[in-house]
This record gives sequence, C-alpha cells and structure tokens, in this order.
Amino acid sequence: MVDVSQHELVPEHTVLEEDILEDVLDEYDIDRTDLPKIKRTDKALPDEAEVGDVIKIVRNSRTTDQAVVYRLVVE
Amino acid sequence: MTESVFTQGYDVSDDIIVIVEDSELPRRLKDRVYETLEAHGEVTPEQAQDVVSAVETKYIDTRVDPLDPVGTVSAQSIGEPGTQLTMNTFHYAGVAEIDVTQGLPRLIELVDARKTPDTPMMTVYLEDEYATEREKAHEVVWKIEASKILALGDVSTNVADMRVQISLNKDTLDERMISAEEVADIIEDNLGVKTIQQGTTVEFGPEEPSYRDLLQLVEELRDITFKGIEDVSRVVIRREELENGEEEFILYTEGSAFGDVLSIEGVDGSRTTCNNIHEIHRNLGIEAAREAIIEETNNTLAEQGLDDVNVRHLMLVADMMTNEGTIESIGRHGISGAKDSVLARAAFEVTVNHLLNAAIHGEVDELDGVTENVIVGKPIKLGTGDVDLRMGSSPNKAD
Repeated sequence: MVDVSQHELVPEHTVLEEDILEDVLDEYDIDRTDLPKIKRTDKALPDEAEVGDVIKIVRNSRTTDQAVVYRLVVE
Repeated sequence: MTESVFTQGYDVSDDIIVIVEDSELPRRLKDRVYETLEAHGEVTPEQAQDVVSAVETKYIDTRVDPLDPVGTVSAQSIGEPGTQLTMNTFHYAGVAEIDVTQGLPRLIELVDARKTPDTPMMTVYLEDEYATEREKAHEVVWKIEASKILALGDVSTNVADMRVQISLNKDTLDERMISAEEVADIIEDNLGVKTIQQGTTVEFGPEEPSYRDLLQLVEELRDITFKGIEDVSRVVIRREELENGEEEFILYTEGSAFGDVLSIEGVDGSRTTCNNIHEIHRNLGIEAAREAIIEETNNTLAEQGLDDVNVRHLMLVADMMTNEGTIESIGRHGISGAKDSVLARAAFEVTVNHLLNAAIHGEVDELDGVTENVIVGKPIKLGTGDVDLRMGSSPNKAD
C-alpha cells in the first residue's frame, strides 16, 4: 500500500494531546465541535486517531511559512 | 537564541538579527528582510530598525480587520475575473496534446464539486530508473493505458463458419508484455466462450450458430480491457527538464484512476496528481483535497491570465468546501443549502420550496446573518454594524 503521508499534497497530521487542546480552545474561545472536521476514514489520519480526537495539521502555507490548523475527528 | 536555524546563512550582524527577530513579521518576510539587508551590505542597526518598522507597519496594515466581510470580498474577487473567462467548453491542447476543460466551465465544475470532471486527467511522475530510461517508462505506460483488442491485432468475422478470428500482432504483444495465451484466457473469462488459440491467432464463436450472437460477441470483445486500467484511454509520455537541469519522463493520461496508479511499480507516489478532487479526497484525505482545490482553481485562473486574483480568496473557498471533512459544493446542495436561516436559503435559489418547507416544519429565523437582515431592513452584523456603543456612567466616575 502507498504511504499517503509521503505525498506532497498531504501535510503533517498528528493527534493533539488533551491538555494542549484545552489551551487551543481557550485561545480561540470556541468549543471542540466548532473546529473543522475530518472523517474517521480519512486516508491521511494517523492510525491511533479515534473519533473525538483533535488532529493538529501543519500546512506549508502559501501566505505564511507554516499554518497550523486543527480538525476534529468525526464518524 | 538569535542563532536559530532560520537566521543561519545570512551575513548580517547579531544586532540586526535581534531587531528582525523581535518584529511581528512572519518567517517568510523576515527572510526577505535578511536577504535585502544582506544584499545592501553596510547597514547600521538604526537603518535596519527603520526598514523593519516600515515593513512591519505595512504588514500589520494588510491584515484583515475584525468584522471584515471576507466571504463577500472573496465572492466578488473571484466573480469579477470570472466574467473574463472563456464561456464555452473550450478545449485546449496544452501540455502534451491532451484536451482539458478550461476557463469558466472548469471553474464551475470545481466549485460545484462534480463527481467526475468533464475531462479527467492525471499527471504521473516516475521514480528512479523509470524516470530516466525510456524503455522503463514505457513499461509503466503499458500498465496504465488500457489495451483494447483493436490495438493488439485485427478482428475479422467469418460469417460462413460463425467464427470470430483475431490475428494478433506479435510485436505489439511483446511491447505490451502480454501473451496470446493470456489474451485467449481473458476472452474466455469475459465472454464465456471456448477459444482456440494457435500462435498469434485466436478464434471463437457462439455456441449455437446465430448471426446476432456473433455480432454481439464482437461488440463485447471490443470493450474488454486486456491490459492496463479501464478508465485510462490514452497516455502521453513526455521528457521534461527539472530545475537542476536533469531530465525526466512524465506521463500525462486521458482519463483517471488515481488510486490504481499510485500502487503501480515505478510510479512516484509522492508527486503524482490528478484533476479529480474527489479522487484525491478518497486516496489522500481531506487536506490534500483542499490543497488540490486551491491548486486547480488557481491554475484555471492563471491559464487565462487572471493570476492576479489573491490566493487567499481561493483558500477561503477551499476551506469552506472541506470544512465538514468531505467535499461540499458551493450552492444550494452544499454550503448555501446548509445555512441556518430560512430567509437566507430562500433568497438564494428555489425560494418557494424553502419557504414552504420552513412553514411546514415551523422553522424560526433568528435574523443573525447578513441576507436575512437585508430582507427585513435591519443593519447587518458586519463591520461597524456589529459594534454597539452605549453611553453610560463608568463605575470609576464615583471619585
């Protein structure tokens, strides 16, 4: 099988630790469910990710060097 | 701390590094500042401070203000150049003589998130020796391009004996690495007939002599894919120069089967792409799909000389389309149809249906959005419209 994470279109996906997540949500003053979503079946998802986890995505941005975004894993 | 990985390689003094690193600039702009200062040679820390301050002011100035209607601005910024795009389904023989839908039809196709594009195509990059040796590259071509019977040999129908006779071309078989036995087997599997294979000729016919069945068999025979991927009708091989001066072979395909191609030996699974955003989503995930939407819309505009559309607008569109983890279209079946407000939905398309359904279900409109408030004639909650000012006594006034 092909390693999806090696593709240049796929940014780095990592599961975010719960305590760091709290800081992130506080900073933006939002709930977990306000985050953009990512499907549980998504090919780029790390193996250990489960529904309800928040994934940290580090993109190579066109407008700045690196953009960090978060997505909530949903069914 | 000043000697971080980023600042290495620039011939500027430590003082200047401190000044630049302390600014609010993003990394890319800091690098540009370093490059400029370095190219200038002798720069005092005071002059550097002036430069950095000027850049910083400009940078902060260009940031989006709170309550700025970015969506509306994006819509206009993409819509206006959209009027200058070619309107007809204009096919353009660009790279490697492959027809690709261009202009407005392509842009509409992208934002509508059509399941399959009008002209699907892939750009297949190869790795290692497959990219440098023509023979090796051709091996991959034959694994991708669908080989139909007419490409492998001649088909003739003998009506007197009720037989279909295929005389295969030996050279073509060798080139495409398929044997006459394999061809015969594939025919047997697909058509459910007994074949007689001798050398490069394969012969078969219907069980009962019937003219209709015979013609039917020939029809079905033409549709069988003997080698390669069914959906890919043509592959064009091109030698292109890399940035470092070396050359590599790149394959362009008419038709796409992204998932299948990625697992073929010799294909570079890190660069190969296709123009079907749904295929990218299925095989590489939602983030790659977002990236592909930006790339495709940007290229479509750039192809028509409209590359001065700021990429932020296209990024916003892509973000909205991929927000739910799946690709959603812009429009009443996608994003606009998912709005909370009844009036906003009704104002967009099929007004009566929305109002009727809302009435049946007893929906309530909170009048939070822009469209609803325009309809009822209230100030919209954007820009200064969202700021409430109240006169009042300050609790500190007491003393």
